Amino acid sequence: MTVEIPVEKWSGKVIEVALGATAEEGGTRTHAVTVGGQTTLPFLHFEGAIPYPPRIAIEISDQRPGDWSPLLLEAWGDVVKDPAAWAKAAEEAGAELILLQLSLTKDGDTPVTVADAQAVTRQVLDATGLPLIVFGPGQVDADNELLVAVAEEASGERLLLGICEEKNYRTIVAAALAHNHLVTARTAMDVNLAKQLNILISDMGLPLNRIVMDPTSAALGYGMEYGYSVMERLRIAALQGDKMTQLPMLVTVGYEAWRQKESKVGVGVPEAWGEWEERAILWETLTTTTLIESGADIVIMRHPEAVRRARVFIDRLMGK
Amino acid sequence: MSRYIATRAIRGSNALVAEAEALLKQAVEEKGADTPVAFPNTAYFLPVTFGMLAHEVNTLGDLEFSLAHAKKLLHPLPEDNLWVPYLGETLDSGMATLLAAEAIEGVRFAYGEEPTLYPGLELAGSTSYPQLNGTGHLNGPIDDIQLRSWGIQLVDGRMPGFAALVGAAHSNEAAVAIVRELQRRNILTFLCGNTNGRSVIDQLHEEGVEMGYDTYIVPFGTDTISAIYPLGFATRSALTFGGLKAGQWRDILIYNKFRVFAFVLALGEVDDLKYAAAAGAISYGFPTIADTVIPEILPTGVTRYEHVISMPWNEIEAETEEERAAKMVQRAIEVRGVKVKITEVPVPVAYGSAFEGEVVRRADMRAEFGGKNSRAFEYLLMAPMDEVEDGKIELIGPGLDTLDEGGSMDLALVVEVAGRKMQEDFEPVLERQFHYFINGASGIQHIGQRDITWIRISKAAAEKGFDLKHFGDILYARFHADFGAIVDKLQIKIITDPDLHAEWLAKAREAYDFRNRRLADLTDDAVDTFYSCILCQSFAPTHVCVVSPQRLGLCGAYNWLDCKASYEINPTGPNQPIQKGQCLDDDKGYFAGVNEYAKMASQGTVEEVTMYSIMENPMTACGCFECIVMVIPEANGVMVVSREDPSMTPAGMTFSTLAGIAGGGLQTPGIMGVGKFYLTSPKFVSADGGFKRIVWMSSFLKETMAEEFKQVAEREGDPDLIAKIADETICTDVEGLLAYLESVGHPALTMDMMF
Repeated sequence: MTVEIPVEKWSGKVIEVALGATAEEGGTRTHAVTVGGQTTLPFLHFEGAIPYPPRIAIEISDQRPGDWSPLLLEAWGDVVKDPAAWAKAAEEAGAELILLQLSLTKDGDTPVTVADAQAVTRQVLDATGLPLIVFGPGQVDADNELLVAVAEEASGERLLLGICEEKNYRTIVAAALAHNHLVTARTAMDVNLAKQLNILISDMGLPLNRIVMDPTSAALGYGMEYGYSVMERLRIAALQGDKMTQLPMLVTVGYEAWRQKESKVGVGVPEAWGEWEERAILWETLTTTTLIESGADIVIMRHPEAVRRARVFIDRLMGK
Repeated sequence: MSRYIATRAIRGSNALVAEAEALLKQAVEEKGADTPVAFPNTAYFLPVTFGMLAHEVNTLGDLEFSLAHAKKLLHPLPEDNLWVPYLGETLDSGMATLLAAEAIEGVRFAYGEEPTLYPGLELAGSTSYPQLNGTGHLNGPIDDIQLRSWGIQLVDGRMPGFAALVGAAHSNEAAVAIVRELQRRNILTFLCGNTNGRSVIDQLHEEGVEMGYDTYIVPFGTDTISAIYPLGFATRSALTFGGLKAGQWRDILIYNKFRVFAFVLALGEVDDLKYAAAAGAISYGFPTIADTVIPEILPTGVTRYEHVISMPWNEIEAETEEERAAKMVQRAIEVRGVKVKITEVPVPVAYGSAFEGEVVRRADMRAEFGGKNSRAFEYLLMAPMDEVEDGKIELIGPGLDTLDEGGSMDLALVVEVAGRKMQEDFEPVLERQFHYFINGASGIQHIGQRDITWIRISKAAAEKGFDLKHFGDILYARFHADFGAIVDKLQIKIITDPDLHAEWLAKAREAYDFRNRRLADLTDDAVDTFYSCILCQSFAPTHVCVVSPQRLGLCGAYNWLDCKASYEINPTGPNQPIQKGQCLDDDKGYFAGVNEYAKMASQGTVEEVTMYSIMENPMTACGCFECIVMVIPEANGVMVVSREDPSMTPAGMTFSTLAGIAGGGLQTPGIMGVGKFYLTSPKFVSADGGFKRIVWMSSFLKETMAEEFKQVAEREGDPDLIAKIADETICTDVEGLLAYLESVGHPALTMDMMF
């Protein structure tokens, strides 16, 4: 008996967003990275177009991260003290994008200055030709001050600047407008809030093809299915033709997976949990692959081995 | 359109274009057409010309195109005896003036005559002119770096807008007062022009006011022509931040109208050229406020509100120049629609929503207003714009210091609100916020509303310096912060004077009464718009609340007026207007617009919804309902279970079990989640027989809403109806219910069958 595979006819399409500008486009990146463009749900190749694979970004920090798991620090080795070297190592580990995470303070004490932020951005831009994502420290005043400076320093590079939230997006968007960058818009796992923030940002005059949305993700075992469901609904709405949900999605899976007990703690846990490092890598890998299946276009990861495994997974899903 | 203004603007533009042509001709002869023309440090050429015409000016020769275009925009003076609408001609003339002015500045740069030298002036930050070797000079055009830096602040709202001061103020003191007032409000100040040879720049310089980028005060030039620079700044803002391309002149002007909050203050006598330049500014949506007597243009249109306002300096009612300046600037920002931003609540005690639930016990109490021993009330009313002085907080009558410890006193909080988007219907919505706003102060307790308000100030708060006037500070700050979309100005009276208290109480009661009647008159049939609420879609993704005047939201927190106000405040938020559209079934409440919206917002899950039926396509519910209504088939009626009632019901399920069936965005005929005040609405399941269908109801509801239900029973023509409705103290199963209904003769038993 032949099984007829039902094919849905969608009217909508995810907007294509290109990160990074080459010399031709007024930047210095060796190539741009495009995401979006889907006309079907994840990996239903028989149903519609999936022009670009999900992209892996590797997260690096402007200084040796104080709160990262020793497993991660060990995996990267000495480069964590040098953002430029780290960016290169990340590129070698298979990153297609680099996320540079800015810190609030230096050595947990003096505040990171505008000059610091500009300098580290420049170092990373010089070290790698990959498109760059830059996140502020996550505190309103510092985010606005540092990201405006970074935007200016990297004018024309089509950075992805983050994180815009409903309470604080105007300054970051204005900086992106002034210097030809993109922004990422984060909302707390809610379809309507995501739509609303996209509307507010595009109302300021930033074209939709310069916005990536971050619907907020959670790690395996910590509400991942809730995030999954919201992303799935956002994508279905996008394919149904709801314009304000047609943006590519970004998820910070590395951050989420590595702050949970299962990946963080090596001692005093049940033996049945198995070997620590393998467990931690699995935690990040599974969180990543699951959210990729719900429609993530950019996954921001931390461990090189998890990156390798996610890459294998993506290649297979893309039919390579 | 004022014929006088049109005449003068047209005359001014004709003269300036002629002057520019003569200058250019001479310059080309003297220096050659290939002589470079450039404003310093900008990628936008001569920005107004570039933005409007997509024409790149690099040489003197390139200016010929600009002036040829300007000439096409010129018009003859209006005839003396034929009166026509002059708006188009005036705006054309304004644009011609701008092109000519920019061309003249271009020629001056070619001659090295710009920026204007001003010996002795040292700017705190300016466009750089290395060739001047530190000679004092005015700024000339703003460079691109500064444009981006200020542009970001203008776009993100930290800087509300810019003011272009043209001419000379009434006195040096007045000039300083105006500039200080603008600085205080974070408004960027641009200076240009003169009146009879004296410029506002001279005035500020004489008074030792520091000018330059760092102080947000930029002196462009001492003639009216330099007013082109602010407009060049505006044009470049649209190109940089609006993503617009050169030549999209219409979009550039519209961008400025809606996003760049700029205005012109015309200081001193307004001559032809100033009228012409002001006409140019009007094209950008920038109104002019003059400090002399000139004709006004009040209707809105090209600008968002009024176009030209006259506010003769000497006639501004005020004691000092500072007060006059404050009033003029206040008027200017109103005319332009600039919003005030307040982030801190200035009170001497901690403030935040964490303090909302605080209780002040009698023993800890410094003073009390309302309750047993005194009377307090609060009243918010809408007032005309010109009758409200923003930020005025008055204490009328004896203060807290006259009161013994633990004493009580009559108090009235009267807030007068003005706003271009304010509506009388929003009065009660805003007035209800007093409770939350005042409770946010640590050590203050607020209970009740209207004329049953009851406020206590704790000893601890009083010791920290909390006084009656701080109620005003709280309300002022919070209304601006939270309701800025509809509140432009507010003034507050805190009244303890007995006579005035009585007088305002009478007015307030009249208003309360009026509002009650208005609510009663507000029926579904009387409006053409309902509102949606999709706040709860985060956990019930397919649920759509449709809120109508006679059916409030099922959570009880949002009625139709709340939704209407919420939409004004947050147009992209969860409450969107739904046009009812064609009524498809009057009885069950099917509306084409409601169906369409429900289908869209539920992602296709809910195709049809009735407003007044539980049996057919009932409205979905999230999980926040105050009560659950469910059909009891055996009794040919419905039961109503309240959230507060933990007991068993005749349906064989408790509230929490029923909630699982009623909620989650499912459309289940026979069960529905509702707000408790919907029970009293004439539209309560009216398609299925209405209130008389209720055969069982949690006793909690019967007790807490006794008064309301009594009225409903009378409306239904059965005064004893409530007593005929069973509750959990009478029965919790169907047999018991039927027996009770028989014994009291409940009307549902003889009504049409529900199925």
